[in-house]
Order: sequence, then structure tokens, then C-alpha cells
Amino acid sequence: MVLGVLIGVGEAFFPGRTTNVQRLWLHLPPAPAWPNGFSLVMGTLVDPLSALVLIVVTVVGFLVVLYSIGYMHQDRGLARYYAEIQLFLAAMSALVLANNLLEFFLFWELVGVCSYFLIGFYYERPSAASAAKEAFLVTRVGDVMFLLGIFILFDLYSGAGAAGGWAANGFVFVHNGAPYLQGLQSHSTLATIAGIMILGGAAGKSAQFPLHVWLPDAMEGPTTVSALIHAATMVAAGVYLLAITSVFIGFTAFDDLLIVAIGGFTAFFAATMAVVHADIKRVVAYSTISQLGYMVLAIGAGFTSVGLYHLFTHAFFKALLFLAAGSVIHAVGTQDLFKMGGLRRTMPLTATAFAVGGLALAGIPPFAGFWSKDDILASVYSVLGAHPDYWPFFLLALAAVFLTAYYIFRAWFLAFSGEHPRAASLPHAHEGPWTMQVPLVVLSALAIGAGLLGFLPGIAHLLGHGSALSGIANIPPVYGLPQIGLSAVSVGLAGAGILVAWRMWGNGRVFTLAETSAAQPVRRLLLNRYYMKAAYDWVGAGAVYTVARAADFVDVYVIDGTVHGFERAFAAFSDRLRRIQSGVVSDYASYLVVGLLIVFAILLLVAPFVLDHLGGG
Amino acid sequence: MTAGLSEFGFLALSAALLAVGLFGVLTRRNFVLLLIAIEIAMNAAILNFVYFAGFAPTAASGLDGQATAVVLIGFAATEVAVGLAIVLALNRARGSINVAEATELKL
Repeated sequence: MVLGVLIGVGEAFFPGRTTNVQRLWLHLPPAPAWPNGFSLVMGTLVDPLSALVLIVVTVVGFLVVLYSIGYMHQDRGLARYYAEIQLFLAAMSALVLANNLLEFFLFWELVGVCSYFLIGFYYERPSAASAAKEAFLVTRVGDVMFLLGIFILFDLYSGAGAAGGWAANGFVFVHNGAPYLQGLQSHSTLATIAGIMILGGAAGKSAQFPLHVWLPDAMEGPTTVSALIHAATMVAAGVYLLAITSVFIGFTAFDDLLIVAIGGFTAFFAATMAVVHADIKRVVAYSTISQLGYMVLAIGAGFTSVGLYHLFTHAFFKALLFLAAGSVIHAVGTQDLFKMGGLRRTMPLTATAFAVGGLALAGIPPFAGFWSKDDILASVYSVLGAHPDYWPFFLLALAAVFLTAYYIFRAWFLAFSGEHPRAASLPHAHEGPWTMQVPLVVLSALAIGAGLLGFLPGIAHLLGHGSALSGIANIPPVYGLPQIGLSAVSVGLAGAGILVAWRMWGNGRVFTLAETSAAQPVRRLLLNRYYMKAAYDWVGAGAVYTVARAADFVDVYVIDGTVHGFERAFAAFSDRLRRIQSGVVSDYASYLVVGLLIVFAILLLVAPFVLDHLGGG
Repeated sequence: MTAGLSEFGFLALSAALLAVGLFGVLTRRNFVLLLIAIEIAMNAAILNFVYFAGFAPTAASGLDGQATAVVLIGFAATEVAVGLAIVLALNRARGSINVAEATELKL
């Protein structure tokens, strides 16, 4: 962890020394038996991309582990918890440092399985166990697509021909000024499919539409896990995958449009669901999906470093929101927003921290989220002229700004404002121990300042200004009058969102939608998450179960039937055979004679015939 | 070749001895008669060795067949000795030397 921070910070402030350090710790050269001169390489690559994410992983990881000491102290199975968290952090760091796609995929799976373990930490609870399975299976859909994408890329880049035999190089990432795909436009159909597959992998990991269903359910895990894995780091791995793919491999124009579409749509889609939910963690989880959508949008529009900038700031303020929510849950023992209320009186630090995180999320200057989210909007806006088909997704993202501000402050007002909790049974709330307060303070500071860090020369270097990235990833556009106008619009939308939230939920008010209201069906649709989970369950239970039953039938009656048939036939045959063992010597002697006669018969009748016809002798 | 019997006669005698011996082995239930039948069948083999020794290319190699015959006579005697010992043990253990009754060794 300390090493990770050192590497990241070193990368930031001494770019000349550490930029693009490759270390190979395993290199199997091409062997004749391997196809197309493929070689296997394992190693680490520290470059601006990985250094930036490494800072996030290690800083947030450290704070979350510190927070866990206070938050988890009354849980059983702590050894398991810390072992899994450490395994996750190791795998996540290795994933970020991987220098080739195969190694990346290896650690990608490892963080996935850690996520599975930790969502299912309270495995005695059926809902937690099933959420863990759901997360594992849904991301598995993406993982299989990712693997297929690697296969296609291997096929495209193998041999000494295209792009200098990238696969023969063991998929090692090299900064050579341009993505590999630029030399491969002739294979654009396959390259497009490979891009879609990689997008599928990223969508599974980063919970983008239509593979987003697992992330809200993943909130069954401990809140610390939600903060670390399902807000700051692992879900960012999908965005990171898109980033390194766009830098080292490149996407075709169609892929870019698809990524923009998925990102923009998810940003809006997830925000709408966050509007109605009553579970504080789920609201924050939907906002994670929504914010990841912004990052995907930026990368699809070609602004890799802008997407990573948002990843960087988002990790801090989203971890802060989760840890503050965890602090509330720890104090009052429920996640239902409608039972809380007035908590700012008893938990002032948590209330402040959640407010800071909310302001950062909503994009109010000068909090962190403002800088990066505005960068994304301004970047996408700057290419709208060249890509008019990005317009709808830009507008969706802009609309999501309003929703984001609304739902996060709805949560804040419900939990913290007012005079007293709505449910009388709530225990007297109090702040957690210092191990829980210190991470809140540090993350609050980062949620305020992380956006401004982007203007530090070191971090700016990581984001591509004047570094190896600058030739590859578009850096944020220069701010002119349109961009400032756009900022004003987005800040205005966010302010409006907060204001609406205040009118409806502030000061202990509870807004109830009339039963006869025309908006009721919409509310139910949102509460049921657009029925997508139900649809997936239907597919799982209906279609897959039917196939499984058919397979089971074949297994039981055809395969097992054959096997058992052989078994029974042999058993019956040997049952007959054993009767000839009478124990009577003269019986054996007669078998001997029969055998002898058979041998004679073969020698006299068959052997001459065979020899004649085979020409032997 | 040897006076008295033709080539066919020798082989017929050998085959007849084998047939008689096999018949005895298959039909007798008395262990002693069984042993005698085995001796008869074995003599068919010994007779063949003696007879075909006459066809050897050299006199020295012809001795091989005759020597084998002498060794086999020794084997036959050994075998009878072992067989009779089994007969005695069987008689002592079961009071009978009927081979059809001695089936304890089957699985």
C-alpha cells in the first residue's frame, strides 16, 4: 500500500524517472508449438494511466481498511474479511499494473471473485448469498465477452504482419504514439466486434446498462466493501479497461458511438432509479452506476484522460458517501431513509461529510465532482459538431446532472434534516470511533480538493498534459465562453435539483405522491427497476431452466442410461460366467481341452486362410 | 527308421495315447485313476520327442530329443510323487479321493 502510493506519487512528481517503466518478471519466448509466434509475458507497467488509478486504489483502500476497524468490530469472521480485502487490494493493484491484456484479465477475474466473496460476507443471509451469486454471474457474462474480445484481438494481431505482431509480443502494452488499431482499418468488422466484446466486459464490471442489475444488489455486503469495491476501485476497473483499450488498441468509430450511447444512457437511466429508492446504500449505488456512465461517455467520445479524471475524483467522493452512509447505518441500525431524520444533530461530522460528498457528486464548484463532470460535459460538447449522433446522449447526461443533485440531496434531507427520526424505535445515534471519523475527514478533504489537484503539475501530467498520453488521449479542451456557459447551465441544473429536493424533503417534510396521481405508474416502474431484474429472472428461471431440464433429461436417460446399460450387461454376463468356476478339477480339464481344440482349429483352418490372403508366410 | 512301426503308426500311437489320457482325465472321478490318465497322456508327448529325434539333421542334435525324453520321464515320476502326496492328504482330510467332491478351492 505504501509502495503503491510511492509509485503513484513518484510517477506524478518525477515523470522523467518513472514514466513507462516496464518490468518483465516472466517472458516465455515464442515456441514452435505455439501458434503464430505467440509469446507469453508477465510483468508490470507503470505509466500515467496506471499511476493515477494506483493512487486511488491505495489511498481509498487504506482509508477503508482503517474505517473497517471501527465499523466491523462487532462482526464475526473478521479474519476472513481482512484476508479477502487484502487479496482484493493486491489483485486490484496488480490489475492496474499489468502490462498486457492476458495478465490484466487474470487479475480482473481475481478482483471479481473477491467481490463475490465480500458481497457474500454475511452468507447466512439468503439475500446476501443470492446477491453474491447474481454479481458473479452477471459480471461473468461480461467476462466471457472480454475473453472472446481477447481471442479476436489475438487473431487480428498475431503473426509478424499486422501491427508488428502485437500478439507475438505477448499483448504487451507499449506507448508508441498511436493505438494499434490505426494500422488495421482493413479488419474493421472484426475490430468492431472485438471492441464490442471489450465494451461488454467493461459494462459487466462497471455495471453499465444492460449489465447493471448486480450493483444495487451488491449492497448486501458490508458498507466498507461497497465503498471500496463497488464505488471506488473494482467498478472503475471496467472504465480503466476502456481507457487502456482506447490508448493501446483503439476503438472503431462504431464502437465509439456505442460506448457513448451506453455511457450517456446509463448515466441517465441509473439516476432515474436512484430518485425513488428508500435504501440509503442503494441510492448511492445507483449514483455510482450513473457516474460510471459519465466516465464511459467521456472515453467513448475520445477523452480518455477526462474519463480517468472523473474516475479519480469520483473514487474519493463516492467512497466518502458510502463511508458516511455506513456511519449512519452503524449508528441507527437501518438503511431505510424514511426511518431516519434529524441525524445532523447527533452526528454532525457524518452529516457534514455526506453533504460534502453530495455537493461533490452534484457538481457544485469548487467541489471535486464539478471539475471532472464539467470536463466531461465540455469535452463531449466540443465534439458534437463532428459527431451529431452524440447529441441525445449528451442531453441525457445533462439531464442526469439535475437528477443527481436531486436524489443525493433527497437522501441527505431525509436522513439528516428535520428535528428527530421518523421511526421512534431508532437507537440514540452517535458518531463512530476515531477509526471511522479519520477516513471521513480525509476523504472530505479529498472530495473538496481532488478536483483542484487536477491543476497540480504532477496530476496534470498523469492526466496527459505533456506526458506520453498527450499524443494518444485527448486532453480536456481549453475553456472558452461556450464551456463557461455550459458550466453555468450544469451548475444551475444541479442547484435546481438541490432546491427541488429541499422543497419536497427538507426540514422533515415527506413528499407523498397521491395514489391517483398520473405519476404512480412511473414511480412503480422505477421502484421495480424497469422490471429488468424481473426480466432477467424470467430468462434465468424460464429459458435457462428449461434448457437445464432438457440437458438433465439427456443426462439421466441417454448418457446415464447408456452407462448403466453397459454396467448391467456386464454384471449379468459376469454373473453367468462365474458359474463355470465349479471347483471340479475335471470341469477345468474339459475347458482346457475345449481351448486346445479351438487353438487347433485356428491353426488348421483360419491361419492358412489368413496367410494366403494377406500374402504372409 | 525304427523297425516294426511305420511313420503313421508312431503318430497314431502317440495320438491314441493322448486321446486315451484325455478321456481318462475328463471322465474319471477317482484321483488315482486321474493320475494314471495324466501319465498316459504325458507318454504321448515323450513318444513324440523320441520319434522326431530321428529326423534331426545331425546325430548330435538327435540326442537332444532323446535326452529330453529321459528328462520328461523323470518329470513324470516327480509329478506322480506330488500327485500321490495330494491323494494321501486328500484322503486324510476328507476320507474320499473323489475329485468331483473336492471343490473347496473355488472362490
